[in-house]
Formats: sequence, structure tokens, C-alpha cells
Amino acid sequence: MIHFNRRMFLASATATLAAPAIVRAQAGPVHLGTLTPLTGVGGTYGPSMRDAMAGVVASVNEAGGVLGQQIALTSEDTQTSPEAAVRAARKLIDVDGVSAIMGTWASSVTTAIAPLCWESKTMLFCVSGADSITELPHEGFIARTQPNSKLQIRVAGDFMVGEGAKAMAWIGPQTPFAASSIAILREIADANGGTMEDLIYEADKSTYRSEVDRILLGNPDFIMLGGYSADSTVLLRDIWQAGYEGQIIGPAYAVNQSLMDALPAEVVEGVYTWEGAPAVDSSAYARVQAILGVEDVDPYSAQTYDHANLAILAMAASGESTGDAIRTGLRTISQGDGQTVDNAVDGLAALSGGINYSGASGPCDFDDIGDITGTQFIFKKVEGGAAGDYKRV
Amino acid sequence: MDLLPQLLANGIITGALLAIPAIGFTAIYAVLRFPNFSVASHATIGAFAGYAANVWLGLPAAPALIAAFAVAGLVGVVSDEVALRPLRPYGALTAAIASIALTIVLENMIRFGFGNDLRGYDLPLVRDWRIAGVRLGPQQVQNLAMALTIMAAVFAGLKFTRIGKAMRAVADNPSLAELKGIDPVRIGRITAFIGMGLVGAGGMLLGLGTSIDPLTGFRFILPIFAAAVVGGLGSIPGAALGAMVVGIGEELSLLVLSPAYKSAVGFLAIVIVLSVRPRGILGERAF
Repeated sequence: MIHFNRRMFLASATATLAAPAIVRAQAGPVHLGTLTPLTGVGGTYGPSMRDAMAGVVASVNEAGGVLGQQIALTSEDTQTSPEAAVRAARKLIDVDGVSAIMGTWASSVTTAIAPLCWESKTMLFCVSGADSITELPHEGFIARTQPNSKLQIRVAGDFMVGEGAKAMAWIGPQTPFAASSIAILREIADANGGTMEDLIYEADKSTYRSEVDRILLGNPDFIMLGGYSADSTVLLRDIWQAGYEGQIIGPAYAVNQSLMDALPAEVVEGVYTWEGAPAVDSSAYARVQAILGVEDVDPYSAQTYDHANLAILAMAASGESTGDAIRTGLRTISQGDGQTVDNAVDGLAALSGGINYSGASGPCDFDDIGDITGTQFIFKKVEGGAAGDYKRV
Repeated sequence: MDLLPQLLANGIITGALLAIPAIGFTAIYAVLRFPNFSVASHATIGAFAGYAANVWLGLPAAPALIAAFAVAGLVGVVSDEVALRPLRPYGALTAAIASIALTIVLENMIRFGFGNDLRGYDLPLVRDWRIAGVRLGPQQVQNLAMALTIMAAVFAGLKFTRIGKAMRAVADNPSLAELKGIDPVRIGRITAFIGMGLVGAGGMLLGLGTSIDPLTGFRFILPIFAAAVVGGLGSIPGAALGAMVVGIGEELSLLVLSPAYKSAVGFLAIVIVLSVRPRGILGERAF
């Protein structure tokens, strides 16, 4: 056993500090962290989101790693709760020393851990939609692959008009995007000579009968749901019982399988859902299918596959494994005229000639504040208790 | 269409359903002299017991309601014996705090067994009737009838049975009741069973029209507490009256307030009653 006396400690500590940063970094592997909702409301998506990233890291490690080092991936659980996520993010940043945190799902979670990331110069890749996230003073340390909620509502509003909506209505709980959703739909209704009613209710009620009575006073012909699955379940039942015959659309994360299982089929029959669509015809999408061993890849797992590839390629482009290096390298490899690649292994090989990563969730081009551009959307229609593809835009 | 009659109808139904757990809560307060906040988890337990009877065993709503009553009542007695009775000598506040801890434990046990998913009862879903412009659901009417039946049974039991009279005696004056040979511990157990049974039945009734999850009971804790306080904590007719005030008040608030502030009505009712008439509308006499 080596006795580590004070003199030896001081000597080794001085030597470590005196060595250039790059030498110290090469002592261990490159650290990346996944922070997905393994439990809680987002628990349906978290495990496969993590597995998609683990698959990318495994293939890069097999091909020799990045910057001559292996990648160590640490996975933590947000529990779909901001408090738990902050604890997990602290651990990833302070204990594991990750350069990037990838895969945060709920907007509240991403918002809570974002300051920890930019203060510690750790890159944050998220799949959250709230507009406010990229408006934070993040100095480029946030990139998201999920379209922001304004874009999502605008696309859905145009869809409603396209399906013949004249009297639109929005009903949902108080959320960070309630007010902007209403404003966007009103703008669309005005532009098309239609009407628009709105109602913000209190989440976590067991019945919304009176709220439904009030929104139906305006005789809407197309209602958009703005809540999550628990309140949407109650609301859809109340709307159906009230004898409403018009059309309904809700976000796919709310009108999901658990909602359809909890309600009789006739209540959800004909309801539309929409979400940002993965690029199903892309070669990257096929790679995620292979990693996860499934036919239908959910949009979030497709996005986290891209997170891991983008982080690794951005590091390689900057020649360093830090969060700051990922930030500066990101747009060099995600957009531009370079050779199109769909995974990090091919990208690392082609890096010197310039690359443009195009992933499983879409082209993965980012604007100045870290928002994604050019995403596709998929609309589905519920028929016989299951959602089937209806339209892509 | 005028919204007022519709909101009144919705309020009366909500109030009648709310009255059942409120009566259970206030009965426990009257006899055991502490606010038992574990009504939240017991309402959830009742809702899940009713769900198990309805969906797994295929029973219709009324027998499932009896299962909800029995299971929640039994859990109420056992949890009271284990967690709350030993702490009651240390004061009402100690017992009340322990009941909050108890409710968290019980809620998580449900979560452990049933998971976090939403579950719906297996009942035929039908479109509502429209009677003179007012929308009423057949299920709502059935729930209302069941709530009124339970209330009638509770009042008859308190008025005419020996146990009911003994409960009222302990509530009025525990020492005097003991001198008359009434065992307060036994009456306490019976009250815990009936009180939590009512809470469980109420939890199922409130969940029947929607879907249930482990937080079902927790959502009703504020209106239940408000109903009991408004009517007069410890007064059983007061709880029924308070539930009507809170239920109708919450629905009518839609005429003047954004629905986002519906729960504020419960708080508002508590504040008004405590500052104007701290004993509640009917005072604290049990019956």
C-alpha cells in the first residue's frame, strides 16, 4: 500500500495543475450525460430516448472513440420533476464532469436545469417545446431539436382551417404556452374570417362540465385541447357527454395511448393529434430503428439519437472535449454545404472535408438562439381506439 | 342559452357528491377531536377498491360502492390504530400532522400497486339528457341518487340506532358518555370505520364520472375541508350544507371568475366563515 504523505500530495497536485489542460483531459474518457424522464409523466419515452443515445455512443466507441478517447456515458433520471432533475444535473456536472447533458423532455425540467448548464459551460440538448427556453440568456449552451410551441400551434391552426374550421376554440390549463397559443389561433382565425373562443381552466379537477358548457356556448366547430393527458381525459369525456359533434385536435403527448386506454373508443373517435415528426424516410431513422429494435420510433428518441451524434461531431470539429467546444462546433457540423452524414462514425471519418449532419428527427439546422428549423409535422386521426397517420406537413 | 340554471344543476350535483366525504371527515372530527387529513388517501383507496370491484369483478356501480365503503373503512380503522391513536394523547395538532404523513404513505402504496396511469370505470357512457335547456348525465343522476341514499342512511343511523346515539354522546361530551358506560375506544373505531368508509364511497362517487389515479383523493382535500369548516367543523348536517355551499359556489364562480381560479372559492369560503362566524354555519354540535 502506498502511503500518500503531505509532500507527495502537494507534488502530484502541483504536477497535475501544471500540465496543460489537454493532457489532463486525455487521462480519462470523454464524459457525456443523458438526463431523460425514466419515471413520471414522461416515463413512456425516457428509457428509449436513453437507449438511442447509448447506441450512438457504443458505435462510436467501437470505431475508436472521438479525439482518440473513449466516451463514457452516464444516465440519470429526471423523474419528470424539476427538483429531481436539478439534483441529477448537479451530479452529472459536478461529479461526472460531463461536457453535455442530452435529452431533457419536460419544458419545466429544461428550464430548471438550464442555468446550471450555462454557468458551468455544459452544453444542453433538449426536446422541450416552450418558447421561453431558447429566450433564456444561455449564450449558446442550449440547442433543441423540438419545434417551439409557437411553431407547433401555428402548424396545427393552419391544419384546422384546412379541415374547414370556421368557429375555433382553445381550451386548456394555465401553462407557459397557454396565452401564446390563444393569440396565435386568434390571429389565424382572424386571417381566415373565422371566430375563436378560448377558456383557461384549472388543472387537476375531476370534472370540467361547467367549463365545457361555457366553451360550447360559442358553438365551436373545431376545438383544440391545450392540456396534458390527465385533464384531457376528463375533458374529452365531458365534451362527448355534452353532445358535441364537431372536430377536436390535441397534442400527441396528451392524446396518447394511455388516454385512449382510459376512455371508451367512441369518445376519442375522430380526434386528431399532431407532433413534430421524425424523418421516417431518412437513413438515420433506419439506424434508430436498428438500435432500438422497433418499427415505430417515437419523435423524442429520434431527437436524442441526433443529440448524441451532434455532441460527438461538434467536439471533434472543435478538437476539444469540453462543453464550450460543443457549443462552438455545433453549427459547423449541423448545417452548411458539407457532405451530408447521418451518424457520428461516418461524420468523424469525413470531418476534414466539411460535413452537414442530417438526422433522424430532420435536417437538424439551428438558428441563432438554438431553435430547430425545418421540422416536419405528422397529423394522426384516432380510429377504432388507435391513432393512424392522416397527413404530413 | 343562459348558463345560470346549468351551473346551478352542476353545483348541486358536485355539492351532493362532496357531502359524503365531508360528512365522514367531520364525523371523525366530532368523535376523535382532530382533523384527519388522511381522508385524501382514503378517498383514493375507496376509488380504487370500487374500480377493482367494478372492472376486475364486473360488479355494477352500486355494489362496487359498497366495496369502496368497506375497504376504505377497514383501512381507516387499521391505519388509525397503527398510526394515529397512539399519538392522539399528544394533542390534535400532533394527530393532524401524523395524518398528513399517513396520507402520503397510503397514496404511495396505491401508486406502488396500481401505478400512475389513469383508470376509468367500466360503465356504459351515454350522451347527456337535455331537460328544459339544462344538461344532465344519466350517470350524474344515478350518482346523485346514491349520494342522497347514503346521506339518508347516515342520518337515520345517527338518529335511531344505539351506535349512532353513542357516537353523538361521545361527540357531545366524552367524559359523560364514558360514565354512562360507553367505551370511547370502541366508538372511536366504529367512527373511523364509518367515517373513512364514507370518504372512500365519496372518492368513488367523485371518480365515477371521470377517471382515477393515485392523486384522485388529494384533489378533493381542499373542498372537503372547506365544506366541513363552512358548515361547522364537527357538525354532520353542517358538512352536508357546507358541501352544497362550496359545490354551488365553485360552479357559480364561473360567471364572474376565470375557471383557472375555481379552487379559490374553497379558500374564500374558509376565510369568510372563519372571519364572520368562526363556528361555521351550523355551529359544532354534532347532530
